[in-house]
Amino acid sequence: MKRKNYMNPYLAGVLLGLVLLSAMFFSGRGLGASGGIKYAVVAAVEAVDQQHAMESSYYSKYFENGENPLKSWLALEVLGMFLGGFLSGALSGRLKFTVEHSPKISKNKRLLFAFLGGVFFVYGAQLARGCTSGAALSGMAVLSVAGFVTMVGIFGSAYLFAWFFRKLWI
Amino acid sequence: MNARIKLSILLAGVGLLLAFLPFNASKTFRLSPGELLKINYQDHLFTVDEVARFMNSEDSAVQLIDLRSNAEFMECNIPGSINIPLDDLLNPDWEGYLNQGEKRNIFYGNGDETAAEAWTITTGLGYKNIFVMKGGMNEWYKTVMLSKFEGDRITPRENALFENRYRARRTFTEINSLPDNLKRQYLEAKRLEESQLDGGCE
Amino acid sequence: MAPISVLNEIPEWLNLAIAFLIGIGFGFALEQAGFSSSRKLAGMFYGYDTTVLKVFFTAAIVALIGSQLLSYFGLLNLNLVYVNPYYVNAALIGSVIMGAGFIMGGFCPGTGISALSIGKLDALIFLIGGLTGAFLFAESYPTIQTLASTNYRGPVRMDEWMGVSPGMFSFLLILAAILLFWLAEKAEKKFPRPDITSEI
Repeated sequence: MKRKNYMNPYLAGVLLGLVLLSAMFFSGRGLGASGGIKYAVVAAVEAVDQQHAMESSYYSKYFENGENPLKSWLALEVLGMFLGGFLSGALSGRLKFTVEHSPKISKNKRLLFAFLGGVFFVYGAQLARGCTSGAALSGMAVLSVAGFVTMVGIFGSAYLFAWFFRKLWI
Repeated sequence: MNARIKLSILLAGVGLLLAFLPFNASKTFRLSPGELLKINYQDHLFTVDEVARFMNSEDSAVQLIDLRSNAEFMECNIPGSINIPLDDLLNPDWEGYLNQGEKRNIFYGNGDETAAEAWTITTGLGYKNIFVMKGGMNEWYKTVMLSKFEGDRITPRENALFENRYRARRTFTEINSLPDNLKRQYLEAKRLEESQLDGGCE
Repeated sequence: MAPISVLNEIPEWLNLAIAFLIGIGFGFALEQAGFSSSRKLAGMFYGYDTTVLKVFFTAAIVALIGSQLLSYFGLLNLNLVYVNPYYVNAALIGSVIMGAGFIMGGFCPGTGISALSIGKLDALIFLIGGLTGAFLFAESYPTIQTLASTNYRGPVRMDEWMGVSPGMFSFLLILAAILLFWLAEKAEKKFPRPDITSEI
């Protein structure tokens, strides 16, 4: 099918805002994504090396009271995100296996920096206890200082670093 | 008009509305029934004599709250009280008085029931420092206003007690026999005085 | 009265089902906005595509306004909605690291997931890197623990910190956003890159 245009950004913003509002209304919390990644890692480590998981103060707290990090609100929400994104892509004719990169760099270079970007980003997100969705977006909606500080920090520093990585994009 | 302008106007309008909306985070009970049950009501009572002493010394660490109707309040009240009729208890205007940890709020009604009800609700909402004057206005009249010392000898303790009551009696009669407009002025002055003290010595 | 799950005893499966549905909405909205494209996301920092700003601020403000109004009408108890706590050092340092990760990888976890769901393999590698980053954090936790936990200020809110009412702060935020939207559209005109925008 022919590729449809992206939704008007303001309209998409309203839609996203309503999704966030319903999370607040139904579950008393905001959205999240990096937390889901953390749970995946925690669950994997426990499956592979249970002793190490239980000995570490970091991992063990996710298994207190017989809880399973994969049976959590965040984990299910992340699963839903895969389905939601897929549905949107399917309806808009944007499903395609591809490595998206600027023609000025090679595919491999793009993948290398994607990997590094992921490492840095999620490491930072664990430290700051949230990413753009969890801390910044949801934080701003509840007026938390942490949310605003995180947002300004992420975007501010991305602007500062933008010049150094410009070759990747433009 | 493009989407940005339409959206901007809409948001600005709603924003303006919000800016002048009184902030009223909806009240729910913070304490579960079990937790409320654990709090001992008996530990939150003051006798009329203790209240008389607070009134005499103009103790600013204490706030007397009359839960009766405005008409009953204007007719007579314990000087220094503010009037929050029970029905109006949850009005956000009063939240500043009730939901704070500095002053002790002492509720009173005509008897015990109204004050106990108000105590239960506010304590359940999580407010701290809520107390009740045991016996209400009825007890105040019986003890502070009408009781007389009878007997030959008076112990120092009884002496202090009755002196306290006589002083309170005098203040009560004086303030409550002011004509309405002067009484209102007195109450306003008291409220202003207290709100100014708020800023002060942290 | 809301939040529903907090104030009512709902069964666990229902709580998780709600999460799943909300996730579907989240992923759908992100992909519809075009956040499944790293080159579109990166455009924010080079001026040729300011969708990120428009969507981000609009979404935050819609949710903010919605929740304030629901609270005013007694339909949502904001005291029971999670406010993320402020750890000064961790927030500052973590967000700078995230900024670097964003400009290198062109994604954040949420957008990465929505991109992967339509087949973007660079998003897959980003998320694998993400899993690695989370693992590194977990393993380095004993060393980094103090940094992560110092200077704790609690769930402090902007309106509390600034001493204004939440409604007033929302209004100021809206004014700021309107200004940013206007600047964003000017920027797109000033830094166009039709070669990129036609492809993403």
